[in-house]
Amino acid sequence: MMTMLLALALLWPLVVIGWTLWSAYRAPAAYQSYFSALWLSAAWPALLLAYGGEAQWTMDAWMLGGEWALNSLSRPWLAFTALLWGLAAIHARGYFATEQAKAQEGDQDTQRRLLRLALLWPLTLLGNVLLIIAQDIASFYLGFALMTFAAYALVVHSGTAEARLGAKAYLMLAVVGEGLIIGGFLWAAGEADTLTLQGLREGILVAEQGAWMAALLCLGFGVKAGAIGLHVWLPLAHPVAPAPASAVLSGAMIKAGLLGWISVLPLGDEQISASLAQFGNIMLMAGLAAAFGAALYGVFQRHPKAVLAYSSISQMGMMTALVAMGLVAPEVWPLLWPGLVLFAAHHALAKGSLFMGTSISEHLPRWPLPLVWGLLALPGISLAGAIGAGMISKWGVKSPLYEMHHESLIKLLSWAAVGTAALVSVALWRQWQQRHKGGSNREQWGAWLVAIAAALLTPFWLPLPAGSIEMPPLKEWLGIMWPFPVGVLFAAVGWLLTRPLKGKSLPAGDLWWLYAGMVGAALVPIRRLGHYCAKLKAASVVSAQKTEEILMGHLTRLLSTESWLRHHVSGLMMLLAVLLAALMMWEGQR
Amino acid sequence: MTASFDATHSLDAIEVLLALFLTASALVSLFDRHLVRACYFFVAFAAAMTAAWWQLGAPWLAAVELVLGVGLTGPCFFYALGHVVPGASSPLERDKFSEPWSRVAMRVVLALAWFVMVGAAIRYVVADMAYAPSEHPLLVAGVVIAATALGAFALHRHLLRRLLAFNLLGSAVFMLLAGVAGTSATAQALISVGLLVAWLGSMLGALLIRQLVHLEGVEALGRDGKPEEGAT
Amino acid sequence: MIWRFGLFDSTFEPLLSTHWALLVALGLPLMLGMLAALFPPKRAWPVVLASVPVLASGLMLLSAYDQAGLLRWHWDIAGVQLSLRLNGLSVLLLLMTQVIGVAAAIYTPGYLRLSETGPLARWLWPLMGVVLSALSLIWLATDLLTLYAGLELMGLAAVGMLMLSGKVAALVAGMRYLLLALMGSLTYLLGVALILGHWGRLDLQGLAEVVEPGPVAWFAAALIGAGLALKAALFPLHAWLTPVHENAWTPVSALHAALVIKASLFILLQLWSILLPDTFYAPRVIAWLGMLAIVWGGLLAWRTDSLKTLVASSTVGQLGYLMVAFPLLLGPDIAPLPRALAWEGFWLQLMGHAFAKAAMFMAAGNLILATGESTLKGLAGTSRRLPLSLLVFGIASITLMGLPPSSGFTAKWMLLQAMVISQQWWAVAALLTGTLLTAAYIFRMFRYCFDETAPRHRYQPLAPGMDLIALTLALIAFALGLLAHFPLELMHGGSP
Repeated sequence: MMTMLLALALLWPLVVIGWTLWSAYRAPAAYQSYFSALWLSAAWPALLLAYGGEAQWTMDAWMLGGEWALNSLSRPWLAFTALLWGLAAIHARGYFATEQAKAQEGDQDTQRRLLRLALLWPLTLLGNVLLIIAQDIASFYLGFALMTFAAYALVVHSGTAEARLGAKAYLMLAVVGEGLIIGGFLWAAGEADTLTLQGLREGILVAEQGAWMAALLCLGFGVKAGAIGLHVWLPLAHPVAPAPASAVLSGAMIKAGLLGWISVLPLGDEQISASLAQFGNIMLMAGLAAAFGAALYGVFQRHPKAVLAYSSISQMGMMTALVAMGLVAPEVWPLLWPGLVLFAAHHALAKGSLFMGTSISEHLPRWPLPLVWGLLALPGISLAGAIGAGMISKWGVKSPLYEMHHESLIKLLSWAAVGTAALVSVALWRQWQQRHKGGSNREQWGAWLVAIAAALLTPFWLPLPAGSIEMPPLKEWLGIMWPFPVGVLFAAVGWLLTRPLKGKSLPAGDLWWLYAGMVGAALVPIRRLGHYCAKLKAASVVSAQKTEEILMGHLTRLLSTESWLRHHVSGLMMLLAVLLAALMMWEGQR
Repeated sequence: MTASFDATHSLDAIEVLLALFLTASALVSLFDRHLVRACYFFVAFAAAMTAAWWQLGAPWLAAVELVLGVGLTGPCFFYALGHVVPGASSPLERDKFSEPWSRVAMRVVLALAWFVMVGAAIRYVVADMAYAPSEHPLLVAGVVIAATALGAFALHRHLLRRLLAFNLLGSAVFMLLAGVAGTSATAQALISVGLLVAWLGSMLGALLIRQLVHLEGVEALGRDGKPEEGAT
Repeated sequence: MIWRFGLFDSTFEPLLSTHWALLVALGLPLMLGMLAALFPPKRAWPVVLASVPVLASGLMLLSAYDQAGLLRWHWDIAGVQLSLRLNGLSVLLLLMTQVIGVAAAIYTPGYLRLSETGPLARWLWPLMGVVLSALSLIWLATDLLTLYAGLELMGLAAVGMLMLSGKVAALVAGMRYLLLALMGSLTYLLGVALILGHWGRLDLQGLAEVVEPGPVAWFAAALIGAGLALKAALFPLHAWLTPVHENAWTPVSALHAALVIKASLFILLQLWSILLPDTFYAPRVIAWLGMLAIVWGGLLAWRTDSLKTLVASSTVGQLGYLMVAFPLLLGPDIAPLPRALAWEGFWLQLMGHAFAKAAMFMAAGNLILATGESTLKGLAGTSRRLPLSLLVFGIASITLMGLPPSSGFTAKWMLLQAMVISQQWWAVAALLTGTLLTAAYIFRMFRYCFDETAPRHRYQPLAPGMDLIALTLALIAFALGLLAHFPLELMHGGSP
């Protein structure tokens, strides 16, 4: 039964792709529906699989030997990922309704773009699902790479200049990341002589250069997870991607990086070496820096989705810090990880609904305004930890840290939550500024509403181990909730303070421009060298041709002595005879 | 090996005369630009060769020389000249090709070197030649003619003159052969084969010269010494 | 060295059937040639029929050698000693002559019919017969008189053959060849005269016993060497060769390049091995000239515009390989192993080149006949229309380039090995350069052939079998490398 579900979960997206392709081939453009009911269902078998219980598969025939499992970690991960994919798909159907109408009217470019999206969306999903259930390196890497590269189509969809820049940034960093990942995998797996992630973790733990392997892999996954320094694609890609695509990018795929870290790092192991612990410290610092820096930078953004992207970076920074705790303080990890999973799942759904919300605010439904804006704010408030699942997930990570006495980290995380609160309020403010009337359709707001509900109620449906999560006790509520009002206040004060700088804001993508400038500067001499080489080559070709001409001329002249030889054969024969005779006489006399 | 010469010591004077005549006629035949005259001198040379063979005690060779040399090879040349009936004029009467002096000098040097080499070789074979060269006038004449003929062969461009030079060289070589090896059966056989070949070659050459003159005119005969004219 | 040429006493007397086989091998080509002059064959099949007894005689001699080892014949005719011998090498060369001769003869009727050669064509047959008989005689003869007669007979007939095409260029080239060949034989005869004068005998076996190093031997060797080098077209006395081949008929060129010049080389090596067993410099001079020949021939072939000149110039270069082996075969203080290797490599190279060059001339002749063009540029587009001729050319080139597994490769490998053992690095360098140059001119030719942009010409269809004969020869050259064991076994001869 489980095996059938697994097969279904993996094959169904392929079936969807095949169907979409076939119908695109067969149906006339005017009746073409890119987002059919079948298309919407692509993620559903995976969701079913997540709730089917724990299971394990070994398939020797698959690549280097398939090793797949649904365990206490991958089940909830698959559940929230698949749920978000399913909701985003429904939202997408509404979101792309106008474009589809345009395509049906016969706009070739739109047809092409929609078909590309409709084909690559399930493929991205397939990669995401595969990497979650994979326990062997090859499958994991295959899923990761599939997801990464197929998602390019999601980012570049609109085809505008900004979209192409965002997609370019995404792709460049993705290639760098893939390179780092495969390098790290080959090194670590080769060292440990293993093909499974379990073996890889053990290998990294005992390897002499384990910290460097871990660093390679972490940087590689960090691209996807938006680790500081490698995060620059997020604020560039999110504003230009379609809202549902942003939702899955920021909700589901960004978590794949996190899962990568959890899969390859020997977290919570007591025999962690000093160098790995040191690496953990660096990672912790990087995470906190991301959490605060992204918040500080993000509040000055104009585009609500850019603000949300920075919020994602900030949130991922917090999660980075929590993962790093698994290296720094291994004893805390067994208690911490369910809270982290809940944190991730809640962030996924909340961020997903926030991104979907941006499309709602651009097409406000004819509902009472306070209701709409209340609903738009809800996931943000939850994300800041003031209500619902946000509060519970905050408690879920706080309580183990309390128990193990890491109060300073708790304080820092709380202040990071202030940043989150400020970011979501700024995002809402920007949405308000850029709101549009124009009625969103049923699928759009339906999926959004379900996502909000799912975000608020995350602990109730997420299949975490029983008893690992509990409601925070009442006396702690204040300690968890205070960052939200403070954050809103900060945002308001900051807005008042920066009013004189009207209309000026920092560009999205922060370090990207620095990188681009650096690379550009580095390219100048290279380009100059290239020009020089081209000139050198042209010159050498010319001179070689000239030399060849001269040589050939000499050769031809030389060969014309053949006719001289021809007319002096008899003389030469006399000469040869005399020469031979003289030579032999001389030799004989010696 | 030199036994055959012992018997002829008494006839030294005749031999010397013969040798002188052979050398003179050969030189005229080689270097006279008037080709008809050169051919006449060649016939005279062949006749003298017949006498020489007779003198050396090889009547069989004398007969062969008479038939092949005087009777067949000579007419070949007149045929090549187009001078079949005496007194008729021929476009080939004179060799009009002139050689650059460097070529001439080079050939003279080569001929001298060749003369030294052949002379030295003969000296080693006929041991007493070193002490009394005058006792073997025919051998000396042979060496002189061989070297000169080869030099002339290398020098001339006119095909007929080269053919003449070849024939004279052939006779000189036969003479040397008879001189060093006597007139044993083997030597006679070798010389007979050589004479036959010389006649066949001359005949073939004469035919070719006629054909060339017929096709291309007199100029074609000198083409060997000039740069190619796209013909070969 | 002497025993390798079979110059020692035989154990057995030849049987009666062997006498007959010898007579057939020596005389039948001549007789058939005369017959064909009277009744010129118009088709290939009478030639095929006539060639059966010729080949059979060769095979009979082979089996006779196989059973009895070295065989000798002596005749004393009016005081003149004539002698023949049959050893492994001469059987091998005899068979080679017969196969190539027969192939050329079978090729001829089709060629003559297609190229409208005129009334002189019937004279080709007797001349060809004379050449083949004379060649057979040269491989077998062991006295200087017979060798001289054979050489002259062959030379005169070859000149006649080459001039049959009747073009002015052919006549000029042929006249030059005639005069030079006659001059070469006179020089040779002068050397023979010295030998006869000094030692009083002409049979090689006897000479091999009495000859001792001295001025007479040296002068004789120098004269004979120069004369035969001229006839064998050894560099720098090669220049008469190209125009002769360029203007001759295809089967004639094939015969001449494959066999006639090799006969002079054979005699040269045989006589020098008697006269100069321990001379250091003379073989070296030949080898140095050979290195120049390899480069010069390669360059000539590389830069030429005419297909036949390419093939003919390549002969000059390929002869260079044989010349380079001279110090290994003749020089003093060469160890037995490199000497044996060089001996095998020399003859294998000679035979491989003979077959390949004959095939190449026929292929080139086919291309020229079909396209009506004799320049390389005229070959453009032949890759599609005449693939078989190009294939033959290609297989023959494999042998010439010395790519494995052709006989060219095996031969050059042996020569290289011998040179490396005896540390003659210049020769090694020349060998490798020659291979590169060969590849250069072969691929240059193929570049023209594979030019697909050329306008389509009308191609004259070839007679059936013309390509097949060439292909057979090319494949023999190729197979000699694979089955080198058999000829090498024969070449060793029985040591006394």
